[in-house]
Amino acid sequence: MTTINFLIYLLTMIGIYGFLSLSLNFQVGFTGLINFGQVAFFAIGAYTSSLLVCKAGAPVILGFLGGMLLSGLFGYLISIPTKSLKSDYWAIATLAGGEVIRLIALNEGWLTEGAFGVMRIPQPFRALFSMDTYPLFYLILVLVCLAIAYIILSLLSNSPFGRDLKAIRDEEELSLSLGKNTRKLKIEAMIVAGMVAGLGGALFAHYITYISPENFRPIETFLMWAMIIVGGRGNHLGAIVGAVTIQLFNVSTRFIGAYLPFTPGFMAALRMVIIGMLIVAFLVFRPDGLVKERKKIYRFKNDDGEVD
Amino acid sequence: MDIAQILANALVRAAELGLLAVGLTMVFDILKFTNFAHADYAILGAFLVYTFNCGAGLNLFLSVFLAAVAAGLIAVAIDKAIFKGFRKKGTKSVTAMITSLGIAIALRNIVRMIWTSESRTYAIPIQRPLRILGARITPVQIGILITSLVAMIGFHLLLQRTKFGKALRAISDNRVLASACAIDSEKMIQWMWFLATAFGVVGGTMIAMEHLLYPRLGFDILIPIFCAAILGGIGNPYGAMLGALVLALAENVILALDFGHILSFGGLFELGSIQIKTGYKPAISFVILVIVLLLRPTGILGRK
Amino acid sequence: MLAIKELRKNFGNLRALDGVSLTVERGLITGLIGPNGSGKTTLFNVVSGFYAKDGGEIRFKGKRIDSLTPDAIARRGLCRTFQIAKAPEKLTILENMLLAANAQRGENPVSALFKRHSVNKLERENLDTAMELLTMLELAHLRNEFAGNLSGGQKKLLSLGRMLMRNPDLILLDEPTAGVNPTLANELLEVIKSLQKELKRTFLIVEHNMKVIANLCEKVFVLNFGKLLAEGTPEEIQQNEQVLKAYLGGT
Repeated sequence: MTTINFLIYLLTMIGIYGFLSLSLNFQVGFTGLINFGQVAFFAIGAYTSSLLVCKAGAPVILGFLGGMLLSGLFGYLISIPTKSLKSDYWAIATLAGGEVIRLIALNEGWLTEGAFGVMRIPQPFRALFSMDTYPLFYLILVLVCLAIAYIILSLLSNSPFGRDLKAIRDEEELSLSLGKNTRKLKIEAMIVAGMVAGLGGALFAHYITYISPENFRPIETFLMWAMIIVGGRGNHLGAIVGAVTIQLFNVSTRFIGAYLPFTPGFMAALRMVIIGMLIVAFLVFRPDGLVKERKKIYRFKNDDGEVD
Repeated sequence: MDIAQILANALVRAAELGLLAVGLTMVFDILKFTNFAHADYAILGAFLVYTFNCGAGLNLFLSVFLAAVAAGLIAVAIDKAIFKGFRKKGTKSVTAMITSLGIAIALRNIVRMIWTSESRTYAIPIQRPLRILGARITPVQIGILITSLVAMIGFHLLLQRTKFGKALRAISDNRVLASACAIDSEKMIQWMWFLATAFGVVGGTMIAMEHLLYPRLGFDILIPIFCAAILGGIGNPYGAMLGALVLALAENVILALDFGHILSFGGLFELGSIQIKTGYKPAISFVILVIVLLLRPTGILGRK
Repeated sequence: MLAIKELRKNFGNLRALDGVSLTVERGLITGLIGPNGSGKTTLFNVVSGFYAKDGGEIRFKGKRIDSLTPDAIARRGLCRTFQIAKAPEKLTILENMLLAANAQRGENPVSALFKRHSVNKLERENLDTAMELLTMLELAHLRNEFAGNLSGGQKKLLSLGRMLMRNPDLILLDEPTAGVNPTLANELLEVIKSLQKELKRTFLIVEHNMKVIANLCEKVFVLNFGKLLAEGTPEEIQQNEQVLKAYLGGT
């Protein structure tokens, strides 16, 4: 692989994980929902889109939309019990839920091809490009979609909706006492987050063109958590910074590993030890992450409080 | 499968899970956060047992004892390095929970670095199962039952009959008040970590003994442990034991009922019959967990 | 405006509320006092929907509210503050005020994205109101501070500010002056008084401090061990022997 190809690959993977960390940050950093099964959205987006395209013959764009919708629906389903569950219990339930999605992908072979995985997933607009230029096109596609997701999430978090979510995160009882339907708000937040992560999953599937349950192990969830903890929660820039940092580390150590006298298994383990320790170290020494949550400042024309 | 066999299997499973669930629930009871690293401490210990037992050739019981002490000390050291600071700063319990997840990942992969991902077995000679009341039970399983029973009774006496137990309960009720009554809560917390982890190592070793020992085992048993602890009402050690029993019964009954049905799913099962259990049991305990959480979030024994 | 009949709430064997009946009249400041553990805060929690009742009924503006969720009760116009004032720590003071505004637009993702113009217009109006109120509460200079950085007393002021922003029909205040320094506490009481006089707001106030109640309320209810011990004007209450005994015995 040439350097430029590697760079394009790296950036594309960063972009794809950007969706996942943006989505997780929207749940954790804005709404205060501790989701340890984030990989489920990733898997649902990836499988829905590739199966719609490969098995039902749908155009790729419909696959993407289907992946987003089903992932959003999953967000809706898992957010229903947040009404009655303490956050610890919900976190445990999501962790298990993520595994169940993977078990379904593994065991429902008639639909998902089981452990063999879905192969030869078509790529959008593949015929228009040569082998050399297509990765660059796909990178641009990913980045454009990511930018749109970023803008939409920013608009939401700056709106009264986003303010309500932050209030739930910080003081749920107070939000209730101010008449906020916290249950509905959490469900809405989870649907939005599910759709964003689902799009990431779909983009992933059509990029690497082959997915199997192995791609969706719980360790992926932990990578996404490392991203929002290192990057900083409660702001979208932090989520992106985290995705860049962790993916840069993750992919580059894979690359460097080839030159070190360790077995691939040892390197993979070492990489995860470092990521686990990064999570702990940031929570202990820099709980806000690299990018701190910012204040929303309203500007006034003068100090009498007239709105600008 | 007949009823005696189901009961026997369930009892063994409950004996293993119970010890792990008690430790998890203790940490929650005293520190008010869910320790996602609990199962990984236990599996780290189980690997230490392997090294003492198969590497150094020590007797199995001695190996378990040494490994439990070692893992207990590691847990105490990690508490001193990380969670003690959180307690001082009054950090939210959610942060402690996420931190424990980071610790879990680090521990699991340290195990992979040292012992590789291979599956291992302890140096136990293959034994002929005995027949007791129509159920086939191996001597190892009998050993598991006895060990677990002894540990549980010991734990009960410790909690109810000693000053240590009283102090521990006082801290669980109100840490500030307890320190006002001249209880050194930091020291008690260290003992609690030590005990919870040591119990976990015994439980983890027993599970590995009956099946296989591999680094990801910690994750595979995590959901059943949570399920047992929550079934019994998290924070309640006796509930955890009861929860383990209920879960083990449910798992075995469900597995027994649907055995042929489950086989027909295909896919996962080239690995041999033991993998069927470890592969599917998390899904069963997950379903039970969700049902319990939704119907009765405080567990069987009710509010703590 | 608020009519509570035979309200009961048990915690295990403890009868926290043991058949309490009381009424709050529109436009008045009603006081609720009692020794520690007499059930005042429990009553608030049951009325505002945070605890489920074990018996009795609660009517607000003539309609039963005792099976509604806290947020539904708040939307009907009955709002409460908390004994230990709460404020979302990573929202600024100004955002805290906006959070409380009634009938906001853009509180769901669809309208937040697609009706931005009308959402922003209403936000501007709310900002003006919020600034006026903050100026009155002398918190305006702190408007861009994170609420997490406020002192306990300032948070109490802010909770009152949110109540005014929300403008509910009935405001339940839980120890509005506890933990507030005396100067600030007096100002706070003045604010409450003027709100009642000038804007005809209705208040139900839990207080531990008899002086505060005497100074503020037209009508007072006294709770002891989950039961209503006495009711009347502050003067009557202060001369009631049973009340004096409960207070001296309780402290």
